[in-house]
Amino acid sequence: MSSYFLPRDRVDELVARLLQSAEVIAPKRVETGDVFYSPVSSPAEVAWDYKTAVEPLKRFLFPQREPILQFSREEGKLKVEAVLEGKERIFLGVRGCDVTGVAVLDAMFGGEIEDPYYLAQRQRATFIALACLEADEHCFCVCGDAGPFLKNGYDQQWIPLAEGMLIEVGSEKGQALADAHQDLLSPAEPEQVAEKLQLAKKAEESFGEFRSYIAAAMRRLTMAETPDEVWEKLADNCVECGGCTFLCPTCSCFTVTSREEGDGGMLERQWDACLYPCYAREASGHNPRGEHPQRLRARFFHKLSHQWAQRNGRHACVGCGRCVVGCQAWAHMSAATEAIRRG
Amino acid sequence: MSNPYLPDIATIQRVKQETYDTTTFTLKFDDPGAWEKFRFQPGQFVEISVFGAGEAPFCISSSAHGREDFDITVRRLGRVTQALHDMSEGDQVGVRGPLGNSFPLDEVAGKHILFVGGGLGLAPLRPQILDVYRQRDKFQSVTVLYGARTPDDLIYRDELEQWQNLEGMRCLLTVDVGNDQWTGNVGVVGSLLSEVKFDVSQAVVFVCGPPIMIRFVVRDLVAMGFGEDEIISTLERHMRCGIGKCNHCIHGDKYICLDGPVFTFRQMKAMMELEP
Repeated sequence: MSSYFLPRDRVDELVARLLQSAEVIAPKRVETGDVFYSPVSSPAEVAWDYKTAVEPLKRFLFPQREPILQFSREEGKLKVEAVLEGKERIFLGVRGCDVTGVAVLDAMFGGEIEDPYYLAQRQRATFIALACLEADEHCFCVCGDAGPFLKNGYDQQWIPLAEGMLIEVGSEKGQALADAHQDLLSPAEPEQVAEKLQLAKKAEESFGEFRSYIAAAMRRLTMAETPDEVWEKLADNCVECGGCTFLCPTCSCFTVTSREEGDGGMLERQWDACLYPCYAREASGHNPRGEHPQRLRARFFHKLSHQWAQRNGRHACVGCGRCVVGCQAWAHMSAATEAIRRG
Repeated sequence: MSNPYLPDIATIQRVKQETYDTTTFTLKFDDPGAWEKFRFQPGQFVEISVFGAGEAPFCISSSAHGREDFDITVRRLGRVTQALHDMSEGDQVGVRGPLGNSFPLDEVAGKHILFVGGGLGLAPLRPQILDVYRQRDKFQSVTVLYGARTPDDLIYRDELEQWQNLEGMRCLLTVDVGNDQWTGNVGVVGSLLSEVKFDVSQAVVFVCGPPIMIRFVVRDLVAMGFGEDEIISTLERHMRCGIGKCNHCIHGDKYICLDGPVFTFRQMKAMMELEP
């Protein structure tokens, strides 16, 4: 795939053009200093200098609460219609971990039976990743095979060089976008590619103490070698808030509810968390995962086992570190993989 | 792309009270085209939508043969089942399905067929029992063992009476606790296994019931010499979507809704090893 160079003084011009063509979701700093992926309306709003966004991209493709069906009763007869919405969106300047998270969602919502609600958003999304030059405090994408520079999975990857952006094209969609704005771009020079390699090396050296023993955890989970005490100890720590699941780029559990509204109503789906005690409970009261350690084991087995990695194309941790930041205790991915490794 | 979340509308044709808390609803699609597409096999399930109350999974409890409607047998337990029980003939529900895999039929030709059901666990076995009996000549023998907590908990009572008098089928009943009218066997359904006289190496067994019953019955079946691939059960979890997306029914490395709900004991053991 081709590589281009976008001089620094033309970045805003290109972003302005993107804003003309679609809704642009980009890192945006709020008053507290935190950065969220949000719709932007001008190039100046894009926070190019951020490290990580508080939340991943999933709510744009898989909203926390989403109407799926609308029903009405006309003269006593039921009518049901799908509520399908999709928006042309460009995700600009998003991190590699988050783009990789979308690949996991693609596998979960794709496959033999496709999820039309997810796909309605996904098929109209373009991902322009922004390579990370420096790891944040809790980042461990190097353990999760999701950064700091991506090898694939993006439509375009932008690498901030000293004098502008190196743009790597990763898909036909990314190529079409480059073609449409050729007047702002020039082919990448060998020196620029060399500068990228330097930056990638520096970025990899910037990771701190946070890591995740994913390979060890993967092997032990796959072979069912993790002793019960590991889950019991993690359960002692975990407060079952579900925060890790909501912050995770790849967690995609949902439940479906139905409510009346006038002479009809809605069926909605909303995020659910496998850590919640009632998650698997059945109407009879039987709960196959009634115990907290069982729920933690199921969660990490689904995230990291080879069995699920094979089904989804990769394991489901991208090393974004959000569960580490969000966890009020010591039951996040790094804690779990370490506990599994120690056995 | 077709929308797997979009139900077809069906109308309740019949409501038959089975027990004090369990009812069989006969459903017929409003659009005859939906029935053409429906083509289910014994063991498969549907997601039933009671609009305003919610959606829940139910096994199909009737045989497709000779019918243009189907049954679900529902115990009144939660929000959706309560709402269903409040409905009557002519009311409409949403139906998605058929979902999941099904019981093997042609693959088990030439064998002795044993069914062991507990409580409402007879419901998913019923279509298979009916289909097996319809092709009775293909099998060596057909035996149905069915148990419930009390005589008042037995479902399909009129049909059970029929089955007990059918030529070519053995149907034995038991209850955990009898009453004044009950003259039959008293004891858990496993206690009927001693009545099995055929060569188990030539047999296949279909088991369904509450988790604890499955556990004990399967243990007994293994002790009797049934092979791990010849013990076939149908598992149920609270499958919210039925299409492997919501993740609620995951057990080990399987989706009960997609990979099941029908599993052999060998498969169940492998799942239990990963998620005890």
